[in-house]
Amino acid sequence: MTRVIRLTVNGTSHDVEVPTYRTLLDCLRYDLGLTGSKEGCGVGVCGACTVLLDGKMISSCIALAVFADGRAVTTVEGLAEDERLHPVQQAFVDSGGFQCGICTPGQVVSAKALLDAIPNPSDAETREWMLGNLCRCTGYYKIIESIRAAAQRSRP
Amino acid sequence: MAHRVVGKPIGRLDGIEKVSGEARYSGDVTLPGLVWGKTLRSPLPHARILRIDTSRAKALAGVLAVLTAQDLPNILVGRRMFDMPLLARDRVRFIGERVAAVAALDPDIAEEALALIDVEYEDLPAVFDPVEAIKVGAPVLHDDPGAYEGAPPERPHPNVQSVLRFKLGDVEAGFREADRVFEHTFRTQLAHQGYLEPHAGVVAIDEDGRVQVWASNKMPFRLKELLSLALQLPPAQIRVNLTPIGGDFGGKGSVMDLPLAYHLARATGRPVKMIMRYTEELMAGNPRHPAVITLRTGVDKDGRIVARRVRALFNSGAYAAFKPAPSVNLGGAGMGAGVYRIPHLLIESFCVYSNNIPCGHARSPGEPQMVFAGESHMDMIARELSLDPAELRRRNLLRDGDVLANGHHLEHVRAGDTLEAALKASNWSEPKGPWIGRGAAMTHRHIGVGFTNARVRLETDGTVTLSVALPDTGTGAHLVLRQVVAEVLGLPLDEVEIEVVTTDDFTTDSGVGGSRVTHTGGRAAYHAAENLREQIGAEAARLGAPATSLAAIAQAAARAGRTLEATHFYDAKAHGTVTSFTAQVAEVSVDPQTGQVTVRRFTTAHDVGTIINPIGHQGQIEGGFVQGLGYALMEEVKTEDGRISTLSLGDVKLPTIQDIPPLTTVILEDPVGPGPFNAKAIGEGSISAVAPAIANAVADACGARILDLPITAEKVYFALRAKAKAPAPSLKERRS
Repeated sequence: MTRVIRLTVNGTSHDVEVPTYRTLLDCLRYDLGLTGSKEGCGVGVCGACTVLLDGKMISSCIALAVFADGRAVTTVEGLAEDERLHPVQQAFVDSGGFQCGICTPGQVVSAKALLDAIPNPSDAETREWMLGNLCRCTGYYKIIESIRAAAQRSRP
Repeated sequence: MAHRVVGKPIGRLDGIEKVSGEARYSGDVTLPGLVWGKTLRSPLPHARILRIDTSRAKALAGVLAVLTAQDLPNILVGRRMFDMPLLARDRVRFIGERVAAVAALDPDIAEEALALIDVEYEDLPAVFDPVEAIKVGAPVLHDDPGAYEGAPPERPHPNVQSVLRFKLGDVEAGFREADRVFEHTFRTQLAHQGYLEPHAGVVAIDEDGRVQVWASNKMPFRLKELLSLALQLPPAQIRVNLTPIGGDFGGKGSVMDLPLAYHLARATGRPVKMIMRYTEELMAGNPRHPAVITLRTGVDKDGRIVARRVRALFNSGAYAAFKPAPSVNLGGAGMGAGVYRIPHLLIESFCVYSNNIPCGHARSPGEPQMVFAGESHMDMIARELSLDPAELRRRNLLRDGDVLANGHHLEHVRAGDTLEAALKASNWSEPKGPWIGRGAAMTHRHIGVGFTNARVRLETDGTVTLSVALPDTGTGAHLVLRQVVAEVLGLPLDEVEIEVVTTDDFTTDSGVGGSRVTHTGGRAAYHAAENLREQIGAEAARLGAPATSLAAIAQAAARAGRTLEATHFYDAKAHGTVTSFTAQVAEVSVDPQTGQVTVRRFTTAHDVGTIINPIGHQGQIEGGFVQGLGYALMEEVKTEDGRISTLSLGDVKLPTIQDIPPLTTVILEDPVGPGPFNAKAIGEGSISAVAPAIANAVADACGARILDLPITAEKVYFALRAKAKAPAPSLKERRS
């Protein structure tokens, strides 16, 4: 059974016909070709598939595409503006906030949402917020550092 | 020597596409007409296959092919010992073994098709514990393992895959010199590498009949060889196209599903993508071996080790196929000697077949297991001798000229300095509150060897392109190699680009692994850049007039039909005389009511070479440490009679951002490594000693000695209860 849904992804509207069982992640990756969001655990634990749905973080691997009908999705591909990396992305580069990079799309999306909600988070707030994003490479120290650097840089 | 680019804290410029989502991993590769492959896996640990009926699956709309062993050549695969069928033929030996493969238009249809395949099995007796597996009369997994290609000859029991021995002196005579002898047995858990990218691959047969492969595999040239064997094709007919790898940690070196993807591509005439679900990773990846390790150590009256005997049983699971070393064993077994001079030593390591998931390599293979056992054992001996555990270590540390268990002579031994640095930074001798403890542990790790090709070319715009066929596993090695080339050529970093080429572009390369890339890739890049520098000098001299720029030189050369380009093949065959020491101290508190262990702070000290990129270097230390922390306290892939009961990544309990303690890193830089600019290695230095440091700290805090990993609150709680009831020591101690 398929259904036509309308998704606004990174500001662009798409009408997509999807089977009702298709996950939002698969829809983004395979119907829209946005492969930035990754599937790690597949059960909503690791956070590699994190996207923003109307500005709120969700695990797109356990959300059906049809649930996002009529709503706005932000993926990692939508963070940079005019080819310029978002301050969070730049900070992850400068501070070694990633290694293999497979969790990074989810990390930077979550970190952007964090700074949108709490522009100058304490380390404790960062840890609380980022709990749903696993990273096996960095041991998290440089992720915390990156977010600290991004917050400083974003400050007006 | 002052460097311009080497040693500078340069961020991860090599991975801007990773933060933007543009990086294409093998699971992201797409091709016209691509279809999806999935495998049906055995639900039984040991059984005969009586019948497979694929007719209902084949009839499902959208299914393009269904294969069983009957459709494939009778080929066995492996990395060194070839004992694993592509699909089970007549018999399954573990839960998760591949029984059939399906190709379908989308992954959901493929999964639906799997459910329509009917397999009739007849149970066979199974064995799960390695101690049981090598008893007389145990169920035998393989009828004639010695007949497998690559099988080591020694086989004391049909369920033994391999035996690896390390021997120094005369161990029996050594024990006769001992005043006291201590023996302890430890167990370590089954643990997944935990990379967040499950194995993924795409195989396409192009119009020329060549097999194009994109795979999460860290050794492209070995993969090409292994696929050539598995597919019975000449190597030249296979091209491995490199993609970034979403975490390796030792686990991404096998052919995994790629031969099946090839056969599905043949059967369907379409490119085939296969991505393991994480559930499949946990039931049929190639995780870290669980182990049962017994150490017996004799010491003299001054607390000096005179003899040690180590027996390790590694539960290797149903196949030996995932172990890459010629020994088909784990080199980490040699760490049974620890960082100590032991005149009389015998280590025997057995890899044992059982009806469990086949195990493979994981970061520092065999060492976290062996170092947990060895360094816990050292503390237990110190306690019995009423010595400060640091003092017992001091008395026995390796020194210049000593010999490792594998026979290598050591120079520039900084074991003592490294230990003292860790003790100092951790306030080892400061008073502690109640239920707080400190524990130390040490290890060392070789500087990796292998062979790498690097090519550098001066472009007509004056920039330099460095070409390698080393995949990016995330370590930052590509940035390190660019820094090396920029340093040699006196260029700014952004004028050296890296180009990742395919297996068509070089003849060979040992790939990524074993802490080798900074050394082998770095030296290949270094020498290639030196050669290019000479060529540039010669070309400038030929021009006569002082050259205005590299671009002018390159353009002049181009006009004369010359390309300024150099390739260097660097081959480091044997480990040298230098190693890298690690000393770590954990400070923990134990909750007396619940047994919960909290790591209050952790100190890690490393004896390293020249650091080429401090950010990447520190990233390796931190990442390895947190993997060690998970291994120590929480991670476990649990099995019940061969069935994995932790089938989601949430159940395996990888450390989260909330689990990391304050970390103090101490660096002892000693530029004596074999790498470029005297670099050493760091990738595997911080993982192995974490668990024993924490175990020793827990014992120091509350007297509970945990002999099996992970150190969960439950185990500490019951150990505390047992201690309260029966204060008699449970340690087995004998006088010889």
